[in-house]
Amino acid sequence: MSRIKALKYLVLAALGVIVVRLFFIQIIEHGKWVEQANLQHTMLETIVADRGEIYMMDGDTPVPVVLNQTVYSIIIDPAVTNKERLKELLEKYAKDNITADIDEIYNIEGLRYFVIARNITRDVADQIAKEGVGGIWFQENNRRVYPEGEMASALLGFVNAEGVGQYGIESSFNDVLRGTDGLLKSISDVNNVALSIGNDNVKIPAVDGETVVLTIDRGMQKGVEEILARHLANTPATNISAVVIDPNTGKVLTMANLPSYNPADYSKVEDASVYVNYVTEVPYEPASTCKTFAFSAAINEGKMTSSSTYFNQGYVVIDGWTIRNAEQRSSLYGTIDMRTALYWSLNTGSIQALKFLGDNPDEITQVGRERLYDYLHNKFRLDQKTGIEVHEAEGIVADPNEGYGRDSVYANMTFGQNIYTTMIQMVSAFSAVVNGGYYHQPTLFAGKLNKNGELIPAEREDETRQILGEGTSVMMREMLANNRNYKVRMGIDKYGYQIGGKSGTAQVVRDGSYDNTMSETIASYIGFGGTAGELPKYVIMVKMWGEGQYMDGTAHGSAAFDDVSNFLIDYLKIKPGNV
Amino acid sequence: MRSQIYTTRRAVSSVSFARNRNIVRHSARGLGSISQIVIVGMITLVFGLIYVAEGTKATGYDYKISEVETEIAEMTAKKEDLAVEKARLTSIATAKNSAVAASMENAVVTGYATE
Repeated sequence: MSRIKALKYLVLAALGVIVVRLFFIQIIEHGKWVEQANLQHTMLETIVADRGEIYMMDGDTPVPVVLNQTVYSIIIDPAVTNKERLKELLEKYAKDNITADIDEIYNIEGLRYFVIARNITRDVADQIAKEGVGGIWFQENNRRVYPEGEMASALLGFVNAEGVGQYGIESSFNDVLRGTDGLLKSISDVNNVALSIGNDNVKIPAVDGETVVLTIDRGMQKGVEEILARHLANTPATNISAVVIDPNTGKVLTMANLPSYNPADYSKVEDASVYVNYVTEVPYEPASTCKTFAFSAAINEGKMTSSSTYFNQGYVVIDGWTIRNAEQRSSLYGTIDMRTALYWSLNTGSIQALKFLGDNPDEITQVGRERLYDYLHNKFRLDQKTGIEVHEAEGIVADPNEGYGRDSVYANMTFGQNIYTTMIQMVSAFSAVVNGGYYHQPTLFAGKLNKNGELIPAEREDETRQILGEGTSVMMREMLANNRNYKVRMGIDKYGYQIGGKSGTAQVVRDGSYDNTMSETIASYIGFGGTAGELPKYVIMVKMWGEGQYMDGTAHGSAAFDDVSNFLIDYLKIKPGNV
Repeated sequence: MRSQIYTTRRAVSSVSFARNRNIVRHSARGLGSISQIVIVGMITLVFGLIYVAEGTKATGYDYKISEVETEIAEMTAKKEDLAVEKARLTSIATAKNSAVAASMENAVVTGYATE
């Protein structure tokens, strides 16, 4: 065989091998290779939806309090990046964003990847990139920005690393704020640029989250928080909460909790209790602030007036239990009227209201208990969720007939023991007492912003119910304002305004019973204010407490209320009326 | 009247040539096999080029789209930055700590006109 022939057979054999191999690749293993090719060529990306922002009101104008910003992390390869140049750059541009000691990082053997700075802005990233130092690259991230810092932190909540809202508005409005992620599936080139060739391309655009506008007034929130911070600093209290509501609409204007935290640095919080919104999430025994409701019920049923009288001997015995007044001055012994009983916050007075309610001025009756239950549960809704748009707890109102010692339980409930409510339940019910008798469902949700930045007001089902008569409301306003007459004389309350309220000093339950040493108490004050002769413009409730601290409703709670009330009169520009 | 017939010089010439021509049979000739392969190859190449040109044109648009999308993302980021800056500048905390606020005097009690 000639050499040419041999070469020919060799070439033919080689071609045969190639043909067989191609047959295997293209026919037998077709699926496998197509899959591998797709993995290399197909780009599959989630188009992340922008999270909606959160606004508060500045008068009639929505203003942002939670926004989004694109920020960058700086990643280095210590084997490539020049240490001295890196130090120089970070010192110059991103000193506050450095995550670790640079010398220590460069001492770690074999380290090829490290995030050396976080949360730098786009401008700074551009400047660093222009310096052209090798081994540095940038990773894009999104973060929430809080221009007002810690303001309203317990109300707003935060967004965790997975992009899920935690606590407050961020949690309760998470479905509205988060939007819907989109999807991009496409053939891509080596630079990961999506190409329109191919038949399986998919592009589902992301739907950005909606922007939520709260009824909270930004300036009022800030002002109230500053007042609360002063009272926190000047009293033994370690916690203080306040809520301001428009009693004529149910719109919550301020919801404050101190101490607060910076939602941008939520992971640095050491005590998780700062995440809690005490206004809506924590029921407590409201103490004497609750007398307002027993008095309102008896007046509304036509069983008593502010001038009705009873014999006060400083205590009453019910079911074998002696219930005493905190105030035992001798001038109060004997026959006194109900206005005086409320002024001095006498427990015997609120128990007397329950007796009146039961048609028997001498003892508590089943009818009286059932009527009070009807008011506390059905009308004032003190044990029911109000429907406010953040997480809230229910309260407890004891059954009027089931259980042992109902008379003593109900006697205690008239002055705020054996009953548990939240602050938002209290202000909603109290608003009905002073606004003419209308119970408005409280709300934090003013509406949403459209793409043009215009407020689309929230559509609310009108659940307003008249639960008290106008006359009852007028009488209660007069009695509550009478409680504060001395404040007018002292120049604390401004002349020309009707400002009324009721204090409460709640004993704390320790090991299943009340701590009668009063070594630890919760101070609270609930009240209203507005132009004299007109419906109130605001209702305020303040609550303050501290572990192992005696906090007095009249001394501490009332003082905080005074400052908030006077601030609101100026802030809302409420003019004085004719007294 | 006597008519005169004119004949062009070319016509006269062709007659004279026709008279002297050789009688040869010419068979009809097609393209050779090599030419056919070359032509088919050329046509395939042209179609291939057209296909590639069209495909590349689509990909060219894709690069433009990608550039525009990158630009949109950058502009969006800039807009976000400006919105954040605006919010910071108009925040109460900033206003309160501003030099203007520091130089303000405390307000006195407001008086209202009485009727």
